[in-house]
Amino acid sequence: MATDKSNFQLVVNGILNENPIFRLVLSMCPAVGISTTVMNGFMLGIAVLFVQVFSSCTIALFQNKIHPRIRIPTYTLTIATWVTVIDLVLAAYLPEAYAKMGIFVKLIVAFAIITMRLEMFASKESVTASFWDGIGMGLGFMFGMMALGFVRELLGLGTILGYDVLGFKPLLFFVLPFAGFFCVGLMMAFFNYLESVYKRAKQRV
Amino acid sequence: MKDIFTIVFRLTVACLLAGLVMGATFIFTDQAKKHNEHAREQKAMLGLLGYSANKPPPAGLTMHALYRYIVSEGREVSMGYLLPTKDRAFVFVAIALDGTFRNATPVALDPAKAGEEGEREKALAAALGPGKELRYAEQTLVVTEDGVRRAYLLSGRFPGFKTFISMLIALEPDFTIRGLEVMEHEEDPGLGAEITQDYFKKQFSGKPFARLKELAVVKTPLPAEYQQALEAEKRGGLDPAAAAAIMDQYRDHDIYALTGATISSRAVTNGVKAMVGKFTYRLAILDRVLAEEQIAAPF
Repeated sequence: MATDKSNFQLVVNGILNENPIFRLVLSMCPAVGISTTVMNGFMLGIAVLFVQVFSSCTIALFQNKIHPRIRIPTYTLTIATWVTVIDLVLAAYLPEAYAKMGIFVKLIVAFAIITMRLEMFASKESVTASFWDGIGMGLGFMFGMMALGFVRELLGLGTILGYDVLGFKPLLFFVLPFAGFFCVGLMMAFFNYLESVYKRAKQRV
Repeated sequence: MKDIFTIVFRLTVACLLAGLVMGATFIFTDQAKKHNEHAREQKAMLGLLGYSANKPPPAGLTMHALYRYIVSEGREVSMGYLLPTKDRAFVFVAIALDGTFRNATPVALDPAKAGEEGEREKALAAALGPGKELRYAEQTLVVTEDGVRRAYLLSGRFPGFKTFISMLIALEPDFTIRGLEVMEHEEDPGLGAEITQDYFKKQFSGKPFARLKELAVVKTPLPAEYQQALEAEKRGGLDPAAAAAIMDQYRDHDIYALTGATISSRAVTNGVKAMVGKFTYRLAILDRVLAEEQIAAPF
């Protein structure tokens, strides 16, 4: 079975129609726990992007060799391998970036979004399609995390990217882990509302 | 039944392949990683002592490494310290757990290679003879300037919220905390990972040893002026004199916990307390033994 979408559509699909956070509602633990600032969201997003792309390509490459009854362990093994490799390479050749990103990379092993994408897409599609799907999902996750981080950082700390924009802290509540659920819920409602408005406008035309 | 063999076979192959990839990456990157870590540690040490690339340390400043080992011989356990002597040689001092001196053995070790764990182990095994089991515990640096002790640099690790936190602590000669640096940790970003931020770790700076022993963690919010003073070095906004005055005012306060990361805050506080407490206890015994046995240490 091959996908009928073009590469560009695959990327857009990951960012909009099947956004991992607001549409698929996957990997909620990191989304809720880490998205306290824009920078944190961006860092985790970049880390997920790389692991997703590498794992997707690996699984797409070996899809015929994976026994259907042990596919989940194989996926986990693949993800863990890539996480370890990226962690080691970053530590060795990009120590500056590693000092900031190290803790994010190590978190990834058990992310639902990556396993799910391997199961739903990479195990059935070609390597090229999986590559673009991985990019789309990674970017979708990154934008979702950054959007969440933007709202939470602005409302919780009064800053954006560490720069003081409001001059005061409106509600510390938004930085705490449980506020992540409220943020995800409210933003999901907001995006759904936007979509319904867009569809209605399209129908009228 | 036929299925199970294919499954076992494929899983084994998958695991072997994954292991091969990870192992190969480790072999290729290990050297560079160690080099980076070493460079980072050196930089952090100088930073804690108040020096940087722009402000190099004076020529009289030397760091003497003190390596602690746990020696087990049959069922008997003792502490062993590998330390340099004045004439650029090394001596291994064994001290029983009750603080009595056991023996001192000269160790043939090239000072340039003393920093490598494998080299040390080889030299120790050759000097001590068979039958003794050595376990490396940690290294402490005694910083001297023209023969006078200026500071201690302790490195060690303790359990954090998820895994171990590696810490570097600088102490004044009277065991007041000079500063600390988190070398490695895996706390949650945005929560426990804030232990690396100035507004948390600088709270320890300047706490005298007597105060440190009773140091606790409080959950009240960090006062705004204190936070400003703690971050003054990085963000500015306060002149150094005003920041120092505010720091003085809060010197006697407990540690303010990080929002949403009380466990990490407690872990660090208890870890620092334990590291400094044990170090002062051991150093007192070692100093006494060195004086009694007239072992000429350069510190």
